[in-house]
Amino acid sequence: MKHASKAVRYTLIIMICLMCLIPFYILLVLALNSPQRIFYEGNIFLPDFDWQNFVLAWNKSKIGTAMLNSALITFGTLALTIVTGGLAGYAIARRNTRYNKFVFGLLLSCMMIPGIINTVPLYTLMQRIHAVNTLWGMILVCSTLALPSAVFIYSTFIRALPKELDEAAALDGCTGFSTFWRIIFPAIKPATASFVILNGFGIWNNYAQAVFFLQSRSKQNIPQALSIFFQQFGGGDWHLMASTAFIAIVPVVVIFLIFQKQFIKGLTDGALKG
Amino acid sequence: MQKKRIDYSQFLSLPALILFSVFFVYPLLKGVGMSLTNWDGMGKASFVGFKNFIDFFADERAISDIRTTLIFAVGSAVLLNLVGLGYAVLMNSSFRGKSLARVIIYLPAIISPLIMGYIWYFLLQPGRGFLYHAFQQLGLPDLIGNWMSSYPSALAVLVLVNVWQFAGMTMIIYLAGLQSISGDVLEAALIDGATPWQRFYRVTLPLLMPAIRINVVTNIIGSLSVFDVIMSLTEGGPGYATESLSIYIMRMCYGSRTGYSTAVAMILFLIILVPVLISMRLTKSKA
Amino acid sequence: MLLVAAALCSLFAGCSSPAAETSEAPPAPASSTEPSEQTPELKDVDLAFFTGKVETVDLLDEIIAAYNAQSGGITVEQEYQNDASNIIKIKFASGAAPDVMTTYEQEYVDQGKYLDLSDWNDVWDRLIPSMRENCTDLNTGNQFRVCTNMTMAGFWYNKEIFETLNLEPADTWEGFVANLEAIKTAMPDVDPWFIFGSEAWHLGHLIEFMPHGYIKAKFGATEAKEAMLANDKAVLNFGDPSGAMATFASGLLEVQSKGLINADVLTATNDNCIDAFVTGKAAMFSNGMWCLSSILEKDPSMADKIGFMPYPSMMADGTPMVLVAEDSGYSISADTQYIEEAKSFLEYLFSAENQKKYSESLGSPSAFTDVDADWAPAAVVEGVNIAIDSAANIGYTNEKPAGFSGDDAGRMVQDLLAGRYTAEQFATAYEEAWDAGFAS
Repeated sequence: MKHASKAVRYTLIIMICLMCLIPFYILLVLALNSPQRIFYEGNIFLPDFDWQNFVLAWNKSKIGTAMLNSALITFGTLALTIVTGGLAGYAIARRNTRYNKFVFGLLLSCMMIPGIINTVPLYTLMQRIHAVNTLWGMILVCSTLALPSAVFIYSTFIRALPKELDEAAALDGCTGFSTFWRIIFPAIKPATASFVILNGFGIWNNYAQAVFFLQSRSKQNIPQALSIFFQQFGGGDWHLMASTAFIAIVPVVVIFLIFQKQFIKGLTDGALKG
Repeated sequence: MQKKRIDYSQFLSLPALILFSVFFVYPLLKGVGMSLTNWDGMGKASFVGFKNFIDFFADERAISDIRTTLIFAVGSAVLLNLVGLGYAVLMNSSFRGKSLARVIIYLPAIISPLIMGYIWYFLLQPGRGFLYHAFQQLGLPDLIGNWMSSYPSALAVLVLVNVWQFAGMTMIIYLAGLQSISGDVLEAALIDGATPWQRFYRVTLPLLMPAIRINVVTNIIGSLSVFDVIMSLTEGGPGYATESLSIYIMRMCYGSRTGYSTAVAMILFLIILVPVLISMRLTKSKA
Repeated sequence: MLLVAAALCSLFAGCSSPAAETSEAPPAPASSTEPSEQTPELKDVDLAFFTGKVETVDLLDEIIAAYNAQSGGITVEQEYQNDASNIIKIKFASGAAPDVMTTYEQEYVDQGKYLDLSDWNDVWDRLIPSMRENCTDLNTGNQFRVCTNMTMAGFWYNKEIFETLNLEPADTWEGFVANLEAIKTAMPDVDPWFIFGSEAWHLGHLIEFMPHGYIKAKFGATEAKEAMLANDKAVLNFGDPSGAMATFASGLLEVQSKGLINADVLTATNDNCIDAFVTGKAAMFSNGMWCLSSILEKDPSMADKIGFMPYPSMMADGTPMVLVAEDSGYSISADTQYIEEAKSFLEYLFSAENQKKYSESLGSPSAFTDVDADWAPAAVVEGVNIAIDSAANIGYTNEKPAGFSGDDAGRMVQDLLAGRYTAEQFATAYEEAWDAGFAS
């Protein structure tokens, strides 16, 4: 009986995993097809193994630069939002004054407003402070988009922390900032891990803002590098698109695999205990 | 009696407020005023009162978009949470290869939305895609049929695709919540003689509440403002059958009805606000 | 408390008076002949060049690098965005127009966003006169862009299939349908006409080339364009149940119900079409010259099998039509401080030598008289030229209502093919959408 249920569980897990790998398999098949391939002819499941595509894709898409830009933007944005959002989440959870209620309400409300209606005034502002076509400008814009989520996650997690933590810190003579930085922040690793997981790849793959604020090819990010393979009146260069996308995914998977222990540990480490 | 000093630590939220005000609220306020004008995005704008809001509710396409958005959001938000929680429960048990399985389930969420739609299209395209060929090789009829060319099955496909891609994200958050429920707490409850229902209601649920709150609120907002998944898979088609409000706003904004699109954005804001407020109330952590 | 904040948020919204906002919307007066007339020597400047034409990105990178190396201080930087037609709008609205761009819309012409290039005789003297005419804005009679190439659109067909079945390209709709039926009967596995309707632009083009084409052929390009600008219903007559639009819709429904087009018309893509054509599974399809390179990339031997024919006339008083239009236009911003520099860059780009490369890489004939490019295999070129000579040449219409794009029209055709309209309803709905696009 127990063996049977174990077998069922394993089968289920394997099936779910296979399902989640299907998109990657398709991407790989596309990446290895020759440009002459008539896509739906012959054995669709078996690619042509045209490895040349990866070389071509690398050169044509400048994906190397794009990956570096995406990495810098993602790292900068996460750092900025974790610090400012963590502090704000702490203040909101622990000092529930009218002012902080206002801050929380404002941030959360704006999460629900489609950013597109800001575009023109934001572009004008960015233009004025010479932030267009710079990575720091893009980091600022991405940060404001991720900030509500950070504040929401941090305040939710910090509320679940026992108040005794703060009180003990206060007895030790900690100020508000040092209580947060020395006591609270380490205790809410799960919040940080959740935030990174929920928002990190969205920033890595940002397209909606990138098209306005990253212009020259030396500044462009991964989705923009991919967009070079789509034509307006016509299909795309699928083999090159897919091999570029594959190149861009590899480092992410590697980083994720290396850090997943820490991630999962971070998720479960905290004092999220009542 | 001590004099009450101002508690400066409440202002730790100031950096976030400043950053947000400059780059979001300030442009937003400049933009929002346009909802009462007929601005075309470039020329002169003139004040038209609430005409944009009235026009919206008289527009068949807009009403159909509301319906599409709501159906998609209900389906997505519910399924994402159920599937995500199911995955988390499954992944919370200990088995060999657990870490790898967790990473694999999360992986689809890292593919750029720009190309995800195309990948799904290669998989699902009626009469041509991978799935069609797989069914053929197995000697099965084309189960996919013409799903993507007719409403409402196209909408069902979109919901499934969305869940397929993002359930891993929901799972991770639930996993964090589940793992915070240590064996000790449950054991203590068991010793107290709690029934399974009491154990769930008194112990598991409150401890899981932060995770539920984050997932429910995030998924409600995300699903109601859905853009990428639909845009890349059906472009809102056939016709406008699967167009969401966000896509409508974008098309109106670029289609020289900028003032109107701002008004629709306000309406979408209200549509999102109501369920978010309700779910925030329902998932409030009890101290 | 959230409510409070939300209320506050919307209160702010209510407070920012629209009147104050309006004063900020930049009127941007375009005085085109202001500076630099007296200072002929070029300064050290950075020129922003904005394009959405992915086909030319690599070649332009090359040409720009060569230009920058010899320009004596001018540095051109290319910005490519896939979604250029939307992004340019934000740039214009924010007062951050690029100096040189390939995006051109009637809307922006009317707003005075482009520099008047009418006096640029060095360039116009080299251009085919009809192409200059196509570049002309009807409202002002001036030119705000230079188009370097021509493009044609019509029906591409498989010559082998036509020869096997002894078919000739048809002039009339009846003959066209008879051809489709003959193919269907003799070759049940072949889709006589392949429509890739998952891509709205393709269906929008069908409208542009067939029913709009009829109007343009009947009233002449200029008069038809003027009627479109003024929404002159006597000429356009979109809603008429026996007009061109309703006839087009009923024609499409006819071939659909007879199974003469591919069954997956609503989900088929451009790639599916190319694949089907190359493998002989599609006998014909409508598209522009730009699809040639993808066909030949898939199978170079197709060069001898590609036929090109005009659109058949659907109306009793119509004629067969081929689209012959300007392509690849370059404009200069009315707000640029560097007019002479921008012109110097474009003159370099427009040199006969660069244009030969450009035309060959784009796969479409040059609009310059002094450029002799091998833009396509000789057999194809010959077929195209015969078709052009045998039919009415219609131009492409930019003169459309700003709120009703070609893609919007295409999405209406999707609805038609999904069974949501009868032909008459379609014509009425089209007219309504067109009028609404003007009203906004």
